[in-house]
Amino acid sequence: MSIVAYAPDDLTVTVTADTTLAALQQHLAPRNQWLPMDPPNPTRLTIGEIVDCDLSGPRRYGYGTVREHILSMRAEMADGRMIKSGADVVKNAAGYDLCRLFTGARGELATVEEICFKVQPRPEAEQFGKVTFPTVEAACEFVEKLDTTELTPTVLDLHNANGAGPWTVVVGFAGTREEVDWQCKQTGLLAAVADTKLDYDEQLWATTATGPVHKLSVLPSKLAATIAAMRGVSALVARAGNGVIYYRGEDQGTGLAPAARLMQRLKHEFDPANKLQARRA
Amino acid sequence: MVYECDAYTMEKHLPDAVALPRSTEEVVRVVKLCAEHRLPIIPRGTGTSLSGAVLAVDGGVIIGTTRLNRILNVDYRNRRALVEAGVPNLWITNAVKQRGLMFAPDPSSQPSSTIAGNIAFNAGGPHTLKHGATTNHVLGFDMVLPDGEVVWLGATPDGGEDVEGYDLRGAVIGSEGMFGVITRVVVRLMKTPRAFRTMLVVFNSADDASRTVSDIIAAGIIPVAMELMDQPITRAIEDAYHFGLPMDAGAVLIIELEGHEAGIDRQLERVTELCRKNNARDLKPARTPEERAALWKCRKSAFGAIGRISPNFVTQDGVVPRTKLPEIMHFIYDAAKKLGLGVANVAHAGDGNIHPIIFYDERIAGDVEKAYACSTAIVRRCIELGGTATGEHGIGVEKAELMAVQYSADDLDAMQRLRRAFDPEGRCNPHKMFPSGKRCLNFNPQRQVAV
Repeated sequence: MSIVAYAPDDLTVTVTADTTLAALQQHLAPRNQWLPMDPPNPTRLTIGEIVDCDLSGPRRYGYGTVREHILSMRAEMADGRMIKSGADVVKNAAGYDLCRLFTGARGELATVEEICFKVQPRPEAEQFGKVTFPTVEAACEFVEKLDTTELTPTVLDLHNANGAGPWTVVVGFAGTREEVDWQCKQTGLLAAVADTKLDYDEQLWATTATGPVHKLSVLPSKLAATIAAMRGVSALVARAGNGVIYYRGEDQGTGLAPAARLMQRLKHEFDPANKLQARRA
Repeated sequence: MVYECDAYTMEKHLPDAVALPRSTEEVVRVVKLCAEHRLPIIPRGTGTSLSGAVLAVDGGVIIGTTRLNRILNVDYRNRRALVEAGVPNLWITNAVKQRGLMFAPDPSSQPSSTIAGNIAFNAGGPHTLKHGATTNHVLGFDMVLPDGEVVWLGATPDGGEDVEGYDLRGAVIGSEGMFGVITRVVVRLMKTPRAFRTMLVVFNSADDASRTVSDIIAAGIIPVAMELMDQPITRAIEDAYHFGLPMDAGAVLIIELEGHEAGIDRQLERVTELCRKNNARDLKPARTPEERAALWKCRKSAFGAIGRISPNFVTQDGVVPRTKLPEIMHFIYDAAKKLGLGVANVAHAGDGNIHPIIFYDERIAGDVEKAYACSTAIVRRCIELGGTATGEHGIGVEKAELMAVQYSADDLDAMQRLRRAFDPEGRCNPHKMFPSGKRCLNFNPQRQVAV
């Protein structure tokens, strides 16, 4: 577990896959930089797991998923050869983008060993507010209203602790002190906002009693209708801005992977002997 | 001849035929016909690419997307648009700007370069520094594979942004048209920022300008753009367009901040301080939207202005870690001087992405070879400094040999595996990106006589 290279003035850092997210953030903190990612359990979760399973958290709305931050990686191919894809600079158009292909591939195509990220300066200020609604429709209406303003939230989540009862919309802003204050004030004009933390996301993933966390991805405009039609759900957190729903309870089924034949050919090209099994975080 | 090359004119090849289909179905028919006859297929937009990426090296059929040019749907609620592959980049922003939205990637070629062409090279532009390149703004697209099968990769027009399985969308972006022919694309639209601060900063030397860029990044400020133009290019632009640029400046930077009105002036003050610390001679803020537009027009006119001072030129596109910017600038000037060639520099400096423009005259014996040598030396130096051969223009035929410098044989083998999954016969845009014996034998860097 190690930091291989850190060039703070270039805003790049290279780490081995077994480094935890918390360890990486700790290393970047003295220079007031961070990898703007917040999947649950950062002290346990490794960078390799985040990359293999494409994990993200509430700040995804503002900063994107892990693939947006990867500049290059070293990976072990199924036959044992080590390869490098990408370059340790912020822009690179040389060669195919195997980094994106391997991200989220659950280690089925190659084993990711080392990752170079572009990091960012930590925002000067960050603030989160919540607004509670009696129904999912009312909550989504608020999300839509917020979306038509000039505000640029970095977090836009919707959650419901037990499948019933009030729906909470969480809005987060980051940037200079002035712009965060101004955006919070503008949000306050639309609804009664109370300060909050992002711990609801940890809570969804922390409970192990009710089976695995499932995921659905829909158009943001279809969020309310999709959630209203779900049955047997015990807890739910949605990235309302992205249309991504995480939930516990009865599996509502996911869409089939498209281009199935192409994906099979890809798997066969990279791992003809079928040695690499899917990893789960 | 339009179809014998792209904007990289050092090599030319004519295709056997050109097809300009009007629908996905017509593309499928052409592709299947080529599959039957084992002919190469070469997808092509408007040919603005700068690396010879649409050359019909082995003949074959160019499939042009210029008639696939409709914006099919704009979904304002979900901030997406469905467009055909041949829609020029700028048309998208023009179609949605009234509603406060934009398509973020902004290559200099954006009035004419197509969305599918942007996908082929993962095109960026001055504003990539903050907004990312094409891959960050394209959600999904269809693709006619070389055997004629049509697949949809990434988000569908009415589907969620996360898709099960491997990220084939991400794997295709930047693949230089070697996997198949794209006909329809779902793009992400961004809210247009409300507040801008754009300024022209004048320096006595390119050194001071590049150090300023490094200092701003190191101070934790990410402007939306930081563009460097050195003296030769500044003079060329001024001679051609009379924007009022200082003719005696060593270099100028265009720095742009954007965001909300609140707080932006305090950021501007910090940037101003860092400019002054590095001996900025003059800071000229754009006071109106018109002045801002004029500054950007001036930057994007750079390549047009070169035609007036050199009969031919070749542009490079290497990237170095941002802190190495002063070093690579020195190297560029020295390399050109040694060979007795003129050089001018524009650079997406904030990204460490250089665009040295090397002047030559194909009528002078040996000049083409010198330009090629100079250009190659610069790119090799970028790779040595921990960078890459290309930031946004792509490898094409131009830099194919350099791939073996930047990557190991095993790295290239892994890329070939990806290609084989899409195109087992290697018929789609062949002889690009990978070092190939064929091109080595035939390559003769001089203008071929147009038919």
